[in-house]
Parts: sequence; C-alpha cells; structure tokens
Amino acid sequence: MKPGAKLGLLLGLWLLALAAGTLLGGQSLSLGSALAGEPTAAAILWQLRLPRALLALLAGGVLALSGLSFQSVFRNPLAEPYTLGVAGGAALGAVLALVAFPQAALVGVGIASFLGALAATAVVVGLSFRREGLETSTLLLAGVAISVSSSALILFLEFFADPHRTFQIVRWLMGGLAVVGYREVLWLAPFALAELLLLLALRWELNLLLTGEETAAARGVDVGRTRLLMLAGVSLAVGAVVAVAGPIGFVGLIVPNALRSRLGPDHLHLIPASLLAGGAFLALCDLGARTLLAPAELPVGVLTAAAGGPFFLWLLLRRR
Amino acid sequence: MSLMAAQGVGWKPEGRQVLGPLDLEVRRGECLALVGPNGAGKTTLLRLLAGLLSPDQGELSFEGTPYSSLERRSLARRVAYVPQLRPASVPFTVRELVLQGRYPHLSRFRLALSTEDIAAVEEALERTGTGHLAERPVDRLSGGERQSVYIAAALAQQSAVLVLDEPTTYLDAGHQRDVCALLARLHREAGQTIVLATHDLNFASTLADRIAALVCGTLLACDTPERILVPELLGRVFQAPFTVVAGGPRPVTLLALPS
Repeated sequence: MKPGAKLGLLLGLWLLALAAGTLLGGQSLSLGSALAGEPTAAAILWQLRLPRALLALLAGGVLALSGLSFQSVFRNPLAEPYTLGVAGGAALGAVLALVAFPQAALVGVGIASFLGALAATAVVVGLSFRREGLETSTLLLAGVAISVSSSALILFLEFFADPHRTFQIVRWLMGGLAVVGYREVLWLAPFALAELLLLLALRWELNLLLTGEETAAARGVDVGRTRLLMLAGVSLAVGAVVAVAGPIGFVGLIVPNALRSRLGPDHLHLIPASLLAGGAFLALCDLGARTLLAPAELPVGVLTAAAGGPFFLWLLLRRR
Repeated sequence: MSLMAAQGVGWKPEGRQVLGPLDLEVRRGECLALVGPNGAGKTTLLRLLAGLLSPDQGELSFEGTPYSSLERRSLARRVAYVPQLRPASVPFTVRELVLQGRYPHLSRFRLALSTEDIAAVEEALERTGTGHLAERPVDRLSGGERQSVYIAAALAQQSAVLVLDEPTTYLDAGHQRDVCALLARLHREAGQTIVLATHDLNFASTLADRIAALVCGTLLACDTPERILVPELLGRVFQAPFTVVAGGPRPVTLLALPS
C-alpha cells in the first residue's frame, strides 16, 4: 500500500475517533434529539463531548509529534516527553503556578508549564552534552532523574497546599480531559498547528539526523540549530498540553514507534501520520476512560500508561 | 590552481595543541592523500577542511572565500565529506540515503523533488555502480557496498571536493580494490578533486597526485608519492622500517615486520 493510502486510512481513523468520542459515552444519547435541539442532549453533545473529543485529538497529536521529534533528534526509540522528564518538568511548573496563584488563568498555568518543560529539557540535554555530541544513554538516565525530582517537588508542594487543592492537583497529575470546554480547544489548537509546521519544515533535517550527527553535518545540516529549534518548539507544545490535560504519558512512545514499522522512516509521512494516529489513539483512550467504569470516570493517563508500560517493555526486548 | 587553502590553521581543544598551526592547499582536480600514525590529526584536518570543525587558529578558504563567511549548506555544496565512523544502523534504503545527499540543494518549502534532484541521484548511483542496490536497506549491505553507497550520497551532493576519511579501513582485499577503482575512476575520468586520509600507503600511492605526511599534528612533508614514499621519510613518520620497490608506475611500500 502506498504511503498516501495509509495516510488516508489514518485520516479515516481520526474521523472515526472524532465521531465515536462525540456520540458514545456513559450517558446514552440520541443524536436525533440532540440535533432537534432537545436541551439536555444538545448540551451533552455540543458543550461536553465535542470539545472533549477535539481536545483529545489535538493533545494526542501534539504528544505523538513530540515523541517522534525526540526519537529522531536523539536517535533513540525510547525518547519522548514523558521519559525525558519534559512532561514532569512541565507538571512541576504548572503545580507551582497553581499553588502560588490559586486563581491563575490558563495562560498563566501554560506559561509556567512551558518554563518547566524548557528547564527540564535544558537540564537533561545539558547533562548529556559532550564535546563529540549528545550521549543518548545519559539522556534517558537524566530524564529519569528529572522525572523523579519533579515528582518529589510536586509532593512537597502538595504537602503545603490546602487539602481541597491537593485533591485537584492529584487528579490533574493523573492526566485527564475531564473539565474541558472550547476555551481549552482554542488554547491548544495554535500550538498543535505550530508544532506540525515546525516539524514539516525540518523534515529533511529529522531524516538526516537518523544517519548520525557527523553525516548530517557533512550534508549541510546545522545540527545545533536544528536541535535547539526542535527542543524549544516541542517544549512549548508539551507545556501547552500539560497545562490543560496534565502529564499524559506514553502516547509519544507508542504511536511514532508503531507508525515507523508500518510507514518506514521518512518524516514526510511520519509527521502527518503521528498527528492523526496520536489524536485518534488518545481520543479512543479517553472514550475508554469515560465508559469502562461508567458512571465513574478514569483519568485517561491511567489508560495510556497501562498500554504504555507493556509497550515500553516490548520495545526494550525487541532491541536485544 | 588552489581550490581550498588552510592558512596557519590549528585545532587546540582545552589549550592542548592537537593540530597545526599548518598551511595546506588543495589544487583543483588533484587527489591529495593524508598519511600518518594514529592520532597524528588526519581526521581532525579532514573535518576542518569539510567545515565540520571551526579552527581555533588561522583560516580556511574555498576559492578565496573564507569558510567563516559561508553558511553550512553553501559549504556543503562545495565540499562533501564521507566520515569513517557512522551509526551501525540507519533505517533507510540505498536510494533514500543517496537522496539525502541532495539536502544542500533542496528547498524546505517544496514537497516534491525537482527533476535535477532525481537526475543527480540516478547519476550518483550509476557512477558508483550501486544502481542495482537502490531499493535495498542500507543495513543489509556488505561493508564495501555500504562504502560505495555513502560515496554515492556524497556525489549526489555535487560538491567540487570529495573528502573521505579512511575509505578502505575495515574492508577485505576485494572490496578495498573496488573502492580504489571507484575513486580512481572518479578522479581520472571526471576530474573529481579528492582529499582522503588512509593508513594504506599503497592505496595512497596508486590514487594520489600528492601525499601529505602528518606527525603529531604537524605537516612533515607534502609532495608527490615518489618523494614521500621513501624509506627514510616513512621511518621518521611511522617509527617503523619500510622497503620501497620503485620502478613501477607508482612506488610500492613493504613494511618489515619483526621476525
């Protein structure tokens, strides 16, 4: 099958996830009565489910694009915002903002979360930087160290926050799309678009980095500038996702790796595919989170992590 | 006619003088071979010439234009480099890898490839005799085939100078011969300017118009193979006794091993 046809299939899957996320849920809903303007049904459809499905599609797309970018920039299939501690740093930034300024607006939390993501990226990359280039084994260890430190600091902050606040923070940290409206969708959309355009503009550089820094540089790639642009852009986008949905792990790990084995290594195809498949994956996980224990609702991060842990192990075993 | 020139170029990481300061010119259409013991600075000099390192002292220029005023991509249109050390595994097919050689000519804003790009890739595959491997994954090639493919990618770059770091190391005798024949063809038939580093003195003797002998970061001599490949000079460079068989088209060196 040609890559174009595979992308077409993924677009179909994306639309299917949008439809399923909007139409299905714990509360059975008649589409007819919603469209006819029956107030409760219409509210559930337009004010609750549609924005939530759209946010899941955007957030999943951003997370998958971020994972794809990190895996290529660091030449390591295990690299993604979650394993490299970037999501942890973003969460720490956001929690700091939430505790210090309980009335903080989304933009404020977003900026704090972006700064946290950027700081974590800077520390992780700084620790693994050698004169000859980046040492990728150190990178993952540094990522673990940052994740653990961020979690510890977040626990410390929770200890001092008032109990009601703490409960909110804990729920948010599990990663979830529960309290969502169009405001969050409009907030995330420009970041998703910007990340997509950045990756597409640097698609040749991403391909070339897979052949090694030295060869890439010999072909004329400015390796340092490419990495810097990528890391800053991805940190910004991950910060934006974490600000609205908490640190959702493993989407960036599962989706790009699964796509690579189907579509090959060319980023021209992998980039749009990651956006579509990441979005569909998270939207379907969210559907599961809403319906599996209905009327109770699981945080979606629990489901992605449940899928991600075994996948991570499978990747490790396959590399041997 | 000088194509590339290094003037007073030195590399001094953390205050330790690893290379130079030295002067070297590369002439249009010549094949220049760098020889010398391990750690003499051959790879460092090649990376400086390819613009992958910026010199701590002195200046490099291409046709009179200093490297410092050239952007990385425009430098890559002038000099192509085939490193010795490469990742053990790359996920691409031969054609995809060779196509990446077009990078310095590509526009970021065009999704489709130009006919020039496609023609350059086909020509590079054909000139290196790797056309039949085009759809094979690079990881499944033999060492010699892989070296030819990386040379093809560098040719697709269409640069004036081809710089290679130890192109025959790790290859068996047959593949060494293939790579040597390929480079000789590029050099003699197409007038390709080549700079390479090697430990194989007979390979250097066969291919090179001039040989530069490096010892501890200093350029000891740079002259024709007949003048460099003499027992006295080789003894000083490698601290090992050599016998040289003259009389053929190019001198042949024999290393005397302790019995």
